[in-house]
Amino acid sequence: MKRRAALIGALAWAGVLVSQAADVPGDSLYQLRATLATQGGTQAGFDLYRGHPAVLSMFYGSCPAYCPMLITAVQVYESHLDQTSRARLRVLLVSFDAAHDTPQRLAELARLHRADPQRWTFASAAEPDARRIAALLGFHYRRLEDGSFDHSQILALVDAEGRMVASTTKLIGDAAFEAKLRALTASSPP
Amino acid sequence: MLAGCAATGALLLWAWAASAAGNPFLPVAGAEFRSTLPSGRQDKVVVRGFLLQRHPVTNAEFLAFVSTHREWQRGSAPVILADAGYLGHWAAPLDPGPGAAASQPVTRVSWFAAQAYCEAQQARLPSWYEWELAAAASATQRDARADASWRQQILDWYAHPAGDAPAVVEQGAANVYGLYDIHGLVWEWVHDFDSLLPADADPERFCGSGAQNLQEKENYAVLMRIALLGSLRAADTGHTIGFRCARDAGATR
Repeated sequence: MKRRAALIGALAWAGVLVSQAADVPGDSLYQLRATLATQGGTQAGFDLYRGHPAVLSMFYGSCPAYCPMLITAVQVYESHLDQTSRARLRVLLVSFDAAHDTPQRLAELARLHRADPQRWTFASAAEPDARRIAALLGFHYRRLEDGSFDHSQILALVDAEGRMVASTTKLIGDAAFEAKLRALTASSPP
Repeated sequence: MLAGCAATGALLLWAWAASAAGNPFLPVAGAEFRSTLPSGRQDKVVVRGFLLQRHPVTNAEFLAFVSTHREWQRGSAPVILADAGYLGHWAAPLDPGPGAAASQPVTRVSWFAAQAYCEAQQARLPSWYEWELAAAASATQRDARADASWRQQILDWYAHPAGDAPAVVEQGAANVYGLYDIHGLVWEWVHDFDSLLPADADPERFCGSGAQNLQEKENYAVLMRIALLGSLRAADTGHTIGFRCARDAGATR
């Protein structure tokens, strides 16, 4: 009897896992199964902030100008939110240069920019996952012969289910993007 | 019971025919190569030797894949990874039907689907440089791009109306590597398809900022590929876009 109860429990648990995966909407970015290495030295899925509105973007850490600019830009956008809304928002920045952006370097970046570890994650993705994430976000990058990267810039705003609500190529002062950000974080559960 | 065994046998035989055995990975020697794409300061790029499939992946080969990967069957694949046209010309999710012959290249597959297929073969999509290196070869030369008659042959294909379904694979001549149909049947996805032009180039204005940095400008056929690939999104499917897979040269399978 006990065994049967355990079995039923296991089946119910398996059912929960399956239905959770199936619940992700077809137009959700979280349909992508990709593996991230995070600043904490752990592995995470691309959907680690599922359940929260989130800003997603990509970068590489050794870029002297763009990387700090991107981080500052997101911090400026979220500084325009009230405290309650800001507490709901999550930020995931994925490096496409996994060879160089080790968990240690990512953690260093997070410290340097005083990124709130409760709400921000710096991570890296190896190929081909990095290219997949980029394709979903509409981000472009290409390694040049000298080892640097030619890349575009984009901030993507997704809802709690991972559906793209807005995106912008303007790191600063996109009023429409900011309005969407405000509306989404005002209405989401904490 | 006997019928069941025979059916299983037939299925196995069919699965074997559709497996990599029927579409082997052939070596393409590495080269220092003058790409059409601007490559920073250097004039040439170094492409390491790699392996490339002999022909574009066919309907039969792709059917074998979706049979064992339910998540990539039409109707199951999420719309964010494959748009509404995904395998739209097949009769049913597990039946290409009369409109998609077994040895025609599979088309209407998204970049995500093509990637998933290659991974299931312990392979990957070729990079643009790899594809371009393989595509520079004629039946007799590794780099035939300066050969005006060879270039014209390719352009003649691009001038064909794209309305009809592509012909079956391996009907023409192989190039020096033994590869078929690099030109002439379908466009092919590459791993970095969406990042070929400089990031600040606007794909809608290909003739402006995008094209001015390109090299080998007389090679129109390749320029058209770059323009086409640059206009696609990874979930797009089209009736002229297929793919083939690549492996690192060191891979033993």
